[in-house]
Amino acid sequence: MRNDQLTLAPARGPSGPRNGRALPPWVSTTALLMPTYGWLTIAVFLPLLTMFAFSFLSATPMGKAPIVFTLKQYRAFFDQPYLVGIGITSLLIGFWTTLICAILGFLAAVALVRSTFGKTREMLLILILLPFWTNGLVRVFSWTMVLRENGFLDSLLHMVAPDAGSIGFLYTRYAIVVGLVHGYLPYMILTCYIALVTIDDAIIEAAASLGARWWTILFKILLPLAAPGLISGAVLTFVPVIGSFMEPRILGGRVGVTMGTVIEDQFTQAFNWPLGASLSFTLLAVVLAIFATFSGVLRRGTAA
Amino acid sequence: MTELTKRNVLKLMSAALVAASAFAALPGMAFAAGTITVLNWQGYGTDEAWSIKAFTEKTGIEVVHDYYSSESEMLTKLRTNPGAYDLVVLNAARCAQAIAEDLLQPIDFSKVPNSKTVDNAFLTNPNFSKDGTGYAVPWVWGMTSLAIRDGMPVPDSYAALADPAYRGRVAFDDDAIINVGIGALMTGQDMNDPKDLAAVIEALKSIKPNVKLLWSTEDQWNKSFAAKEFDLSVFWSGGSVRSKRNSKLPVTFVVPKEGAVGWVDGLGIPASAPNPEGALAFANWMIDPTFYVEWATKVGAPASANTAAIDALPADDLSRQVHKAEYLKTMSIMSALPDDRREAFNNIWQEVKAFYAE
Amino acid sequence: MKSLGRFYLIATLVFLYTPILVMMAMGFNESQLYELPFTFSTRWYDALWNNKILLTAGMNSIIIALITSVVATALGTMASVALSRRTFRGKSLLQLMLLPPIAIPWLITGTAMLIFFYWSGIGRGMHALLIGHVALAIPYVVLVVGTGFRTIRADLEEAAMSLGSTPVHAFFSVTLPLLYPSILGAALFAFAVSLDQFVISYFLATPGYTTLPVQIYSSIRKGFTPEINAISTVLLLGSMTVILIFARFAKPGDTRDKR
Repeated sequence: MRNDQLTLAPARGPSGPRNGRALPPWVSTTALLMPTYGWLTIAVFLPLLTMFAFSFLSATPMGKAPIVFTLKQYRAFFDQPYLVGIGITSLLIGFWTTLICAILGFLAAVALVRSTFGKTREMLLILILLPFWTNGLVRVFSWTMVLRENGFLDSLLHMVAPDAGSIGFLYTRYAIVVGLVHGYLPYMILTCYIALVTIDDAIIEAAASLGARWWTILFKILLPLAAPGLISGAVLTFVPVIGSFMEPRILGGRVGVTMGTVIEDQFTQAFNWPLGASLSFTLLAVVLAIFATFSGVLRRGTAA
Repeated sequence: MTELTKRNVLKLMSAALVAASAFAALPGMAFAAGTITVLNWQGYGTDEAWSIKAFTEKTGIEVVHDYYSSESEMLTKLRTNPGAYDLVVLNAARCAQAIAEDLLQPIDFSKVPNSKTVDNAFLTNPNFSKDGTGYAVPWVWGMTSLAIRDGMPVPDSYAALADPAYRGRVAFDDDAIINVGIGALMTGQDMNDPKDLAAVIEALKSIKPNVKLLWSTEDQWNKSFAAKEFDLSVFWSGGSVRSKRNSKLPVTFVVPKEGAVGWVDGLGIPASAPNPEGALAFANWMIDPTFYVEWATKVGAPASANTAAIDALPADDLSRQVHKAEYLKTMSIMSALPDDRREAFNNIWQEVKAFYAE
Repeated sequence: MKSLGRFYLIATLVFLYTPILVMMAMGFNESQLYELPFTFSTRWYDALWNNKILLTAGMNSIIIALITSVVATALGTMASVALSRRTFRGKSLLQLMLLPPIAIPWLITGTAMLIFFYWSGIGRGMHALLIGHVALAIPYVVLVVGTGFRTIRADLEEAAMSLGSTPVHAFFSVTLPLLYPSILGAALFAFAVSLDQFVISYFLATPGYTTLPVQIYSSIRKGFTPEINAISTVLLLGSMTVILIFARFAKPGDTRDKR
């Protein structure tokens, strides 16, 4: 698979350090990678492989029920056609969340880099990241307080227009997206900020002195420069969002049914790990496919 | 960002690292002979601080808790942690499965003197025993049925769930087995083995315009009810008592003519329990009238399986009024389901939920 | 343009802090069920000071999050160096392998860990907890630090080396300072990931040991009281104070800021 674009930087310039001495570069490369991948292997890959093996079983292999090999868990989308609709809903929620995060996050990063500096900028960045340090569930419950009928949003509206009706939209898909955008926006702001902070002001000043309008600067200079940040941010948003279950459940009410909640139900209620696992791995495959396509498009885009 | 953060934060972090590793090295797992570990839902009777204090003063046994948030998780924890637990709270429907897997040990009822007054129907519940040997001390029973906001007409049938009068005002428990059970009761079938599943699906789908939300925790139920988001709901008997008494919510628990969905929870001792004696003493305390009266009147509880404990309640007590003995005759008790039926029930509920979300 | 940018940032902060402010307000509201109208009360703070379990849980969470953040940031940055600055076979695969820990819901990963740790003899306890937390934080670190690497020009290191620096020295004196924003951001995220992580703690901690998210998640079933809001508020304001004091009194050091 060729996926350099997908996540991290393609190596620029010559590969290894110019280390004329004893050790060949692969030794240090391995030494740098070993701790991370060794750790991930023990803690994540081997357990997930076990789970992957479970997804081919007829029942959860922890009881005494007879277990046989089967592919039926992967047929769930055919046997239970309503899952297709749920899957599409989840992808759409993921898409909208990521898009909104990307727009808001990119603009926030631009504003941080262009309108603030020094201590103020640092403080603002820290203030943006800190809401992340509160518990996700507490945050989601707080959103219900804001969005429900006669909640804080309505109170605010009624202060301005006492006779207006309710604009509370708790228990809709919009509420789910608001909750998710709130949860993942800091990722996008941070990754875009990292990408933009190293930009040389001289470039922008030069462009401006040559008569470039602000939108030209924004779209022709800043956007391409922020691309690595946008891509990482998109990965960090889209990937977890389509498996999320807490926000849909609490903010979505009746419409809060997503792949995340279906999978969660398989593990907590139905005790059908094989089905839950097969659905997760199907989801993972879809995610990888989307990013593979996406990175192919990007590659062509940059080559042109 | 900067210099600042770099050195100082690292310094702070390494200091914390040292402190934390010292902390981690403390013996956390040394179980004294006089300790028992209980596996239960959080906030469900066994972990009341005043009760544990009284029990420890009386017996010298310390009580430690570990919690589960779903029944399948409880089974997983039992299986993957031999020797960790002394007592586990489990639903009758799950108990049979645990017994079949040899996860539990037989109960020596002579060491549980309070069991003498436990209703025989519970002691002989087939889910609690195997070959005539009891594997769990019946603890409490309760019902899942309807709860209605005070001042609204009291429904006499589950059909009210689909009544257009409640458009957008109904909340459902997000639990497959319970809801399929209610669908079965709505269509006049056996809750544990409905033959006409298509009718169940039809009945549940017909409620769609009324369904406002699916709740999954008592806390969520209370907050939404307090915010007047729904009027009629599928709810738990014990929960309704707590909501009415502790949170002063205007709610009445109703058992319609089709009967309630009943359940019984028992106290089991894992086969690998390090301190079964202590566990038996605690199980005895859990069905003791002294404990139960305080639990039921101060906190709000389901009905004790111990008749003597129920009789010790004041006549006007809310728990007592909600858990009338006559309901025991009309309610269907959830029993162990074969795997394929359980899977079918879960798939039905997923399908219905997907329909609600459309 | 500048004032527009500032206005936009303030709007963003308002959005980000809306639920946080609601959370804080509800910690001072009399009603356990978040009922309005708002009635000021400190009963939940009074209750919190006497709630040993919750306070211990909060302490445990901070300790674990700190360790996780340090270890994951160190390991992740190392891996990021190799993934960004070296070419070798299978690199794309290694990068792709960072996705499953993010994509697979924590519940599944947690269950998988519980089973695997049981079978492999790793067992439960503080060590298992840390193994899990660090593993889930690493991919975030690698991705964030990797983004930083993409924006730093490799030729700066080259230049340093051509002036006689050893590669290691060039890395520490040239690349690392440029990477600080990303590394710090990664550490903050690793901290957040650990602080929000309940499934792993729930499955892998020894009975009796508890963390704040575990307390929160297991208490929503029955008794989720505004004490949770109170402790979340204390934690947030505490960390905000610490960080902002550091930011205030440290030397200005952003060398790339030319103004």
